[in-house]
Amino acid sequence: MYVFLHLWDATYRALGQSHIAGLSLNATMWYLMIAETIVLSKPRLTNAIAEQVKDGSIAYILNKPYDFLLYHFAVAFGDGVIRMAFNALAGGTIVWLMIGPPPNIFSAPLVLIAILFGWLIDSALTATIGLAAFVTEDVAAFDWIYAKCVLILGGVLIPLDFFPDWLRHIAQALPFAYATYHPARFFVQPDLERFVFLILGQLLWLGALALVLALAYRRGAARLTINGG
Amino acid sequence: MNFLPPSSLIPHPSSFILREKETMKRELTFLLALWKANLLAAMEYRVSFISQVVGMMLNNAVYFIFWVIFFDRFKQIRGWGLDDMFFLFGVVAASFGVGVFLFGNALDLANVIANGRLDYYLALPRPVLLHVLASRSITSGLGDFAYGILSFLVARQFAPDTIARFILAVIFATTIFIAFMTLVQSLAFWLGNAAQISQQASNALITFSLYPTTLFDGSARFILFTIIPAALIGAVPAEFIRAFAWETLAQLVGAAMLLLALALVVFRRGLRRYESGSAIQIQV
Repeated sequence: MYVFLHLWDATYRALGQSHIAGLSLNATMWYLMIAETIVLSKPRLTNAIAEQVKDGSIAYILNKPYDFLLYHFAVAFGDGVIRMAFNALAGGTIVWLMIGPPPNIFSAPLVLIAILFGWLIDSALTATIGLAAFVTEDVAAFDWIYAKCVLILGGVLIPLDFFPDWLRHIAQALPFAYATYHPARFFVQPDLERFVFLILGQLLWLGALALVLALAYRRGAARLTINGG
Repeated sequence: MNFLPPSSLIPHPSSFILREKETMKRELTFLLALWKANLLAAMEYRVSFISQVVGMMLNNAVYFIFWVIFFDRFKQIRGWGLDDMFFLFGVVAASFGVGVFLFGNALDLANVIANGRLDYYLALPRPVLLHVLASRSITSGLGDFAYGILSFLVARQFAPDTIARFILAVIFATTIFIAFMTLVQSLAFWLGNAAQISQQASNALITFSLYPTTLFDGSARFILFTIIPAALIGAVPAEFIRAFAWETLAQLVGAAMLLLALALVVFRRGLRRYESGSAIQIQV
């Protein structure tokens, strides 16, 4: 946040404007704080699933009476909630001291709902990447690229509002934006209509990605090879 | 009575220099053999090797899109534009990549020390620090290195002196990076477990190095030139590549030599405190 404050403060001063694309410096900083909190706290499924596929320990979980994917999500979600509490507290304190209070703190409960659905979308994507270990074994490269897509197309490093128009329209429709940008954007400019469209969009993407995940899991489990030893 | 030894027993300065040259040649041969073994081991699984290298290049390229979008909108910030960011990313990626590929254990030295794995290196007739640093390669570093070269090429500055300054800048930035990481990781000799603090230092170093230092002032700039020398592996080498200046060169040379010396001294001091672990270690 320290780096971001210097970067965006210098940018706003260089332009001599109080608002860029409808966002003030205060709103931009709080937006970035929420976006960073979402990304730093989200459940991390890729490595957890990939490691279990690679070392074969998935075999012990597959014959248990619970769903493999939901089990991993539940474990990661618990970690994520604790991390989010600390990140939000630390990040919020720093940004409050640096730039002042957020535009509207009372939107927080609705933002939490949006963050939950955002996490579910992200988890569906990262679980799919983790399941790629059934085919490629090493999923590190896919994980890195996905992380960078979230940073750019999810608006974590720069709000999508600052993108060129043609790229903004595309990025705002992608699942990365529904996982990160839209919840953070809602926090700085809460609006009921915006919230309804946000949740609808998240549910649509969640449905589509859950289907892809289910198919990937079924195919992967069918071709699973366990080497003894 | 003549107590002076015969002249044939007094070592000549030139024999000392010759001996040092032989030692350096021997250690360089050893390093080359280590690096070759690491590369062959990494390439044993071709698909994994290629995916890590290409994946890291794509990873860096996607990250750089942030600056393309930023400067497309805002043109320049405090004297820095997109072309300068090509140099900045070029030198940081290339130096980080070559550093972690050739001296991969610079990022894991704290764990090596804390887990008693120095025993293996202490028992062998090779310089301990050099051996432990070079005994591991991070394959994705090749992707970073390749991306760094590509970033420099995209800036389209092919004058021989610019290329020479880029090579020099990468050498100094690599030295500063590896020396700083060795220094921080060596805190494990005193702290026991310095893995977390080392990780934070590494993240801070890389994060701050990818931003122009003109964004920061006062105490922040002081920190970026001293405690976390991010400016010395990012903005300062990038400025050196942009245009030659004796001051910039002096900063790079001075920082590289100082950090290298500090790292060696701190590691040696810490090694005296090292206590062997009882774990059986197999080095493959």
